Amino acid sequence: MSVLTRREFLRSSAASSALLTFGGLAPSSLHAAAAANRSDRILVVVELAGGNDGLNTVIPYGDDVYRKLRPKLAISKTNVLSISEEIGFHPALRGFADLLESRKLSVVQGVGYPDPNRSHFESMDIWHTCQRKEEVRTDGWLGRMIETTDSSGSDPSAMHLGNDKQPLSLMSRTVRVPSIRSLEQFHLKGSESESFRSTVQQLSDSHRDGGDDLLGFVQSSTSSALMASERLVTTGKAYHSTISYPKNGLGEQLQTVAKLIGSGLKTSIYYVQLQGFDTHAQQPDAHQGLLRQLGDSVKAFLDDMDTMQQSDRVVVMAFSEFGRRVAENASQGTDHGTAGPMFIAGSPIKSGIIGKHPSLNHLIDGDLEFHTDFRRVYAAVIEDWFGCDSDAILKGKFDPVELFA
Amino acid sequence: MNELIDPDWAWAEYSPSAQSPWDTRMAAHLFRRAGFGATDQELKAAVEQRPSELVDSLMSARESDAFLRDMKSLAGAAVATGNVKQLSAWWTYRMLSTPTQLLEKMTLFWHGHFATGGEKVKDAELMLTQNECLRRFSLGDFSKMLLEISRDPAMLIYLDSATNRKAHPNENYAREIMELFCLGEGHYTETDIRELARCFTGWEIRRGEFKFNHYQHDTGTKSILGKTGAFAGEDGVAIVLEQNSAPEFIASKLVRFFVMDEPQPDKTLVSPLATLLRQSDMLLAPVIKCILSSNLFFSPHSIGRKVRSPVEFAVGLLRCLEGSTNSFSLAESMDALGQGLLFPPSVKGWDGGRTWINSSTLLGRSNLIRTLLTGDKTRFAKQSLEDYFKATGLDKPRLVIDHLERLLFAVPIASAAKDRVESLMKSDNDSSFVDGIHALCTLPEFQLG
Repeated sequence: MSVLTRREFLRSSAASSALLTFGGLAPSSLHAAAAANRSDRILVVVELAGGNDGLNTVIPYGDDVYRKLRPKLAISKTNVLSISEEIGFHPALRGFADLLESRKLSVVQGVGYPDPNRSHFESMDIWHTCQRKEEVRTDGWLGRMIETTDSSGSDPSAMHLGNDKQPLSLMSRTVRVPSIRSLEQFHLKGSESESFRSTVQQLSDSHRDGGDDLLGFVQSSTSSALMASERLVTTGKAYHSTISYPKNGLGEQLQTVAKLIGSGLKTSIYYVQLQGFDTHAQQPDAHQGLLRQLGDSVKAFLDDMDTMQQSDRVVVMAFSEFGRRVAENASQGTDHGTAGPMFIAGSPIKSGIIGKHPSLNHLIDGDLEFHTDFRRVYAAVIEDWFGCDSDAILKGKFDPVELFA
Repeated sequence: MNELIDPDWAWAEYSPSAQSPWDTRMAAHLFRRAGFGATDQELKAAVEQRPSELVDSLMSARESDAFLRDMKSLAGAAVATGNVKQLSAWWTYRMLSTPTQLLEKMTLFWHGHFATGGEKVKDAELMLTQNECLRRFSLGDFSKMLLEISRDPAMLIYLDSATNRKAHPNENYAREIMELFCLGEGHYTETDIRELARCFTGWEIRRGEFKFNHYQHDTGTKSILGKTGAFAGEDGVAIVLEQNSAPEFIASKLVRFFVMDEPQPDKTLVSPLATLLRQSDMLLAPVIKCILSSNLFFSPHSIGRKVRSPVEFAVGLLRCLEGSTNSFSLAESMDALGQGLLFPPSVKGWDGGRTWINSSTLLGRSNLIRTLLTGDKTRFAKQSLEDYFKATGLDKPRLVIDHLERLLFAVPIASAAKDRVESLMKSDNDSSFVDGIHALCTLPEFQLG
């Protein structure tokens, strides 16, 4: 696979019209290019599914309104892991506090989008596609990005790990992204027999009429699944690590990502999901467990990248489809809300807190008002990390947030 | 493509013609969609009937008392373990052995519609109660099913709505009944959700049963979807169901389930079905019968135009070949492929279509075929598949391939592919028979049903 560098991209004729729109952004991205060759760069996306309660993640503990609206759920001043005099992390986020301490974490506050939708599915689709329901949505932002960089025949450009269905963000009209549950399950039974293995591979490779319809889709998916299976069975054996990961779903998935990176796979995007953030009832224990899983797993993964000397080419981005209502409900839980924080972690990022915590005094229908569009964070990743033009991928022009050093 | 489909033609009754003859291919299509699949014998009997007779017999089939007794005692044993996964195994067994395939298929449809997950409910008995409710109404009265589900303990526990106090109404059920169960996103406002949530205050689940706690009910005036009054929960459900978008939403979902994954049926196409559903007071049987008897259903718009779900893939294979297997393992395998019975991924159920397909599930499907072919728990009319075919006179690779194509494939297999599989089966190798069937069932065509 070859990811276009910005320079190559500018040289290509298709990009000539985009040249004008880059404006003054070039210097920062040229600076970032010193960290690692762009074509080797990796993004690990962690989806926090269900709507993470941002208010109890990055906590405005200095604000009286917070305690007033959260009589049962407020985290006390003494327990928060203080970031400043106004805000602090949930006590279970020790992993993130450590990363911030070692200058490897950026917290973007108040992220959302205009006219927020409070349906999980609709809002997640908006985050995945950067489009509203009224538009035809056939692909996602990551899918569109790899379309500009994919050269088929080698390793997959992107990979989804886990048991859940593949996120819409990875859908592309031309590139099929593999989903894998574990490396072991990616082994095709019977493939010890070369005649069997080559028969199924060749039968799936041959083109069917009507390439864009359902059969064409299944055919190209089967073909790439069999190819990726063969590749992964032979790699993944080289990984040895001394880092211990938390024994939970996210920890295991991120360790698998580490194995794949360590095996020299040329994949540039890995996508993992952590379910369970829809805390309508009995929130405290569930949320604490999820945040601990998140912080500890990401910390272990980045430590592993350090020991593998891969840390200059890897960043992790965590997001959720929305935050939760500021006032708690009667079931010791919270209902669907709007804006929330995003997290970007890794050595190459500019560490710190970006933007103010949304005001608790200016709520809209009881919800926080966003001030940073999520597509500005995506734009930073697309432009300043991968060196691609973000306009077409995001279907609009968004000013990148300053995420990279 | 949708624009080209004339609704009058689409929903008119299919009558066989020279271009569109009633043959085993058509009958196999009907069995696959209205159930899981038909054996060779069932197909031979089916083509002797008229299509409408076959649809009628699928609609009116009844389980024998003996079958119901067996199912009840097996369900009791599953519930006694307290493990919802045992109940998934029970349901898998029921699908493999039921004489009423359409009833079971519709129960599966409603489970995906009113999706409720055992990982959160945890109580096998409550999951069984809900499953029986869905089966009871699956071809019956949607209004009654909706009201019953709105007070169903498993559903309300799943949606964190087991307590609902007037001081802080929980919005979850109010949202999902409009977004996912009746109207679809965009047919209500956030204010409607908040107002409807007030109607449900006082609805509680205590010790596994629905209770109305009138101390916690908000008796004030609410405004929902243009209506104003001191509505109770029952009124709220009725107001939602009165909306024009309700029959449209349900009919559209049925079309997608029975007819085709793509494209999404448009409003003009669905409109006659929505009208029929409303005119029959939300009774489901007339609209299901109309769909399964229609020109559109027996047309190239429909045949082979759906991705098989994991249940259709696995249960279908076994039913077509008189197979039996360990139901618990099979339920686990289907879960690994993305369709855990009683464990849907979210309250939205399974999206189906292309979302069933990715590298992991494709390899998993292929590996499941191998497991079924080689494991000693799986039997085809009590023998190995190779012996089963020999016993029915299919003693040559090509005969086996053609037989499987007729029974299991909605999309024809290219003759070059058949040649290649045939040569694999003729190779001098202990596993050549298994390799051949496995290769055939790994073809992209096999994923379509």
